[in-house]
Amino acid sequence: MDNNNNSRNDNPKESGDYMKNANEHISVSTSLDDEQRVKVLSPGMLVFRRFIRNRLAIVGFFIILFMFLFSFVGGFLTPYDETEVFTYVGTMSKEYASITQNTELRYTVAEGKEYNDGAHAQFILAKNSGKKFFTYNGIEYSIIQEDEDLYIITQVTPVANVTYFRGLFGIAPMEGFEVSKVLEESVMSALEAGEEQFEIQGEVYTLTRENKDYILGKSENAALESTLIIDPAQQNLNVDFDFKYAAEKTIRDQDSGSFSANGQMFEVEEHNNISVIYQLGSNDRIPYAIISSYAMQPSSPEMFLSIDFKATVLEAIEENKGLFHFQDENGNAEYTITRINNVYTVKTETPTHLISMHESPSNKHLLGTDAHGMDVLTRLMYGGRISLSIGFIVVFLEIVIGIVLGGLAGYFGKWVDMLIMRVVDVFNCIPFLPLMIIMGSVMDSLDVQPDKRIFYLMLILGIMSWPGIARMVRGQILSLREQEFMIAAEATGIRVSRRIFKHLIPNVIPQLIVLATLGLGNIILYESTLSYFGLGVKFPFASWGNIISGVSTAYEMTNFWFVWIPAGLLILLTVLGFNFVGDGLRDAFDPKMKR
Amino acid sequence: MANTIEEVKTTVEERNNNEKGNGYLLEVKNLKKYFPINKSVLLGAKGYVKAVDGVTFGIKRGTTMGLVGESGCGKTTIGKTILRLTDKTDGEVIFNGTSIFDLNKKNLRSIRPRIQIIFQDPYSSLSPRLPVGEIIGEAVRDNNLVPKEEFDDYITKIMLDCGLQPYHKDRYPHEFSGGQRQRICIARAIALKPDFIVCDEPVSALDVSIQAQIINLLKDLQDKYHLTYLFISHDLSVVEHISDEIGVMYLGNLVEHADKEAIFANPLHPYTKALFSAIPIPDPDVKMNRIILEGNIPSPANPPSGCKFHTRCSSCMEVCKTVVPKEIEVEKGHKVVCHLYDKGINKDK
Repeated sequence: MDNNNNSRNDNPKESGDYMKNANEHISVSTSLDDEQRVKVLSPGMLVFRRFIRNRLAIVGFFIILFMFLFSFVGGFLTPYDETEVFTYVGTMSKEYASITQNTELRYTVAEGKEYNDGAHAQFILAKNSGKKFFTYNGIEYSIIQEDEDLYIITQVTPVANVTYFRGLFGIAPMEGFEVSKVLEESVMSALEAGEEQFEIQGEVYTLTRENKDYILGKSENAALESTLIIDPAQQNLNVDFDFKYAAEKTIRDQDSGSFSANGQMFEVEEHNNISVIYQLGSNDRIPYAIISSYAMQPSSPEMFLSIDFKATVLEAIEENKGLFHFQDENGNAEYTITRINNVYTVKTETPTHLISMHESPSNKHLLGTDAHGMDVLTRLMYGGRISLSIGFIVVFLEIVIGIVLGGLAGYFGKWVDMLIMRVVDVFNCIPFLPLMIIMGSVMDSLDVQPDKRIFYLMLILGIMSWPGIARMVRGQILSLREQEFMIAAEATGIRVSRRIFKHLIPNVIPQLIVLATLGLGNIILYESTLSYFGLGVKFPFASWGNIISGVSTAYEMTNFWFVWIPAGLLILLTVLGFNFVGDGLRDAFDPKMKR
Repeated sequence: MANTIEEVKTTVEERNNNEKGNGYLLEVKNLKKYFPINKSVLLGAKGYVKAVDGVTFGIKRGTTMGLVGESGCGKTTIGKTILRLTDKTDGEVIFNGTSIFDLNKKNLRSIRPRIQIIFQDPYSSLSPRLPVGEIIGEAVRDNNLVPKEEFDDYITKIMLDCGLQPYHKDRYPHEFSGGQRQRICIARAIALKPDFIVCDEPVSALDVSIQAQIINLLKDLQDKYHLTYLFISHDLSVVEHISDEIGVMYLGNLVEHADKEAIFANPLHPYTKALFSAIPIPDPDVKMNRIILEGNIPSPANPPSGCKFHTRCSSCMEVCKTVVPKEIEVEKGHKVVCHLYDKGINKDK
């Protein structure tokens, strides 16, 4: 022992004993080695101390803390829901009715007669080629033009065969028909006079020559072809052939203001080509129908337009007015008429539930509302949850995969290392954005639910980003394995597990934490980018990226800044915060760092 | 604390009593270590770097053998191979009667604490994430060398022995100077109660004043714990100070091996002569008669034929170029590998 002390005292500078001896005598020490003066800090405390000394890191930390509170607590504090749509009651110029000017002939079939679209088409052909007769489905029709755009179609039913040869006259009735004496005489006189058509007892007969004989036919009204349209005042009112024929005759002749049909009296009042037909009662007259060349359709089938309104509209159209007023039980309203070709549209201000789109910031919505009428602030909070969770889960995923594969590669080396590193190379060769775009469209076409989509997104991002971590872990382990302290640890004969967990892992962890923290920012950026392109988180779920993607035009960008600027700022601050913290951690973990 | 010292001493005595064989604590027999060059999966090894090419020596308990030689001559490889930190290519390492390379993993682990190593670079040989107390005590605890209740006292004692203060326990390696770090490395080795320590150039990374402290510390500890050292160095003055025997290595071979006194008084091998002539003498008046070796050390991957030193030897003979010299014991305990001392060859002359 003496020997030892002597040899130490030869080198008092390094030897602790010297100082120790000195300290025994001098109570107040000025030595730097004084135990009292040097506080011993645990490794965690040391890192923490260095971290909090880094101002930028603290700023980053508070940014991230704020983001967490904002996203995870804010969602509970906000009175609104993530997908709550705000509406208000306002008036809106809505389509009320549409009117088509009719230039085509439309037919009305007489009671008990056959006349359909096919016959109508034949009629149009015959009319255009100037024929008086046409046949359809074995029935012969004849055309009688009553007026411009008013045709009566008659149908001839054969009644009897008539023989008339050199003064000899014979008549043979068809089966089921009888020929009266009066009719016989009328036929004879018509034949003598050479007439083909005659009228008797209010019925029209025709004689059609067939070889030497004639066929006597009874002519009956089958249909009416007209361009005018009768619009009844009520749905159940009877507007049959007789009524229409009588009404049209009256309107076109313009000679009498009243007519009778089906045993009822009607009165016509015409003004500007629009005729209103009134049913005459004992003392008063009730509006019955309106006849014009316009077809009017209300915008919804539940709506019924009164005859007065129709008359007012048509009058306005005839007078080429763009605007008219109409008084109904709801009060006086203003209507506008717009015309496209033959179609007129009547619009009016209708009270409606409207979505509060792009509402400017107010007390109710601190950051206004977006294009869907949802509260921007609330969506930012929920979006933060998704963006941050995706960041953390993806980083966790990539670190787990990265540590396992990188650790295997680094620890076992040889062909394991070779294989894993080639896999890493392959992953690094995959172009990230095109892959994500393809995955996004695949998920679109498979109709993946938006909530499941978020998980797939995490999975893909995690699988795509582990190679960097694996490479780092492998490199670290390879270099650490050759470090002398690892060899020394092996020489001391401690367990392999201890060597790995006490010596290897703690030396990898700091880089890992730094990489993970910096990676978090990257993942949040990736997520935003993908969501912006519509490939990531989908509506109705909010994420900071797809909030920004809601603003796609320059107009929205300049006018609705409150939608995209806050989301952009949140992304910017979060990524910045993670980078600050990452840098701060790197500096704090590095004990060799000097400040 | 007294108890622990007593205990250490008794274990050392027990071990002494148990010592077997020819009095050597460690014997190295014809040890070879070749490193493959450019080993690839398809082509196999192109060639081998013969880092250690048949080295034989023995170290007695409580003595120090110095191993000197140029850099790259295989000194460190011998050290690591003795500890079985790298595999051997051929030969044997016998520690206290047991062959190190014949042990299975479990037995190897149990023998590990008894053979320790101190590295050249005190910066990379300490894990930066562990506090000093943990670095020193970790293996002690893991190998159950000291009862739990005595553990703290034991570590404190070891630290004091190595010139460290107990409050250093909770500090991290980066807070220490090079000399202090080397003390930590020594403490780590000493704490395992080893019989044998390989000192792999423990002072070459330190400045001269610290070197002396460390050397003296090693000597003190040797006396105190009855340690045996293999002291690897390229610095002859350091080796002279600490060693009992000295081995001179050249290109993977031991060319001369003798007691310190014998080798310094009468260096036989031309390489040893050249090496010793290069020791600086701190007196400007003394004229140095240096032997300048020409050329560089040949590649160990492609060593010269015959005597490996013949390309640079001042007294090279024809026979040196073709015939590999054998070990000749010129005096008792003074062995040299050189044709100059081969009586059969010199007779022919």
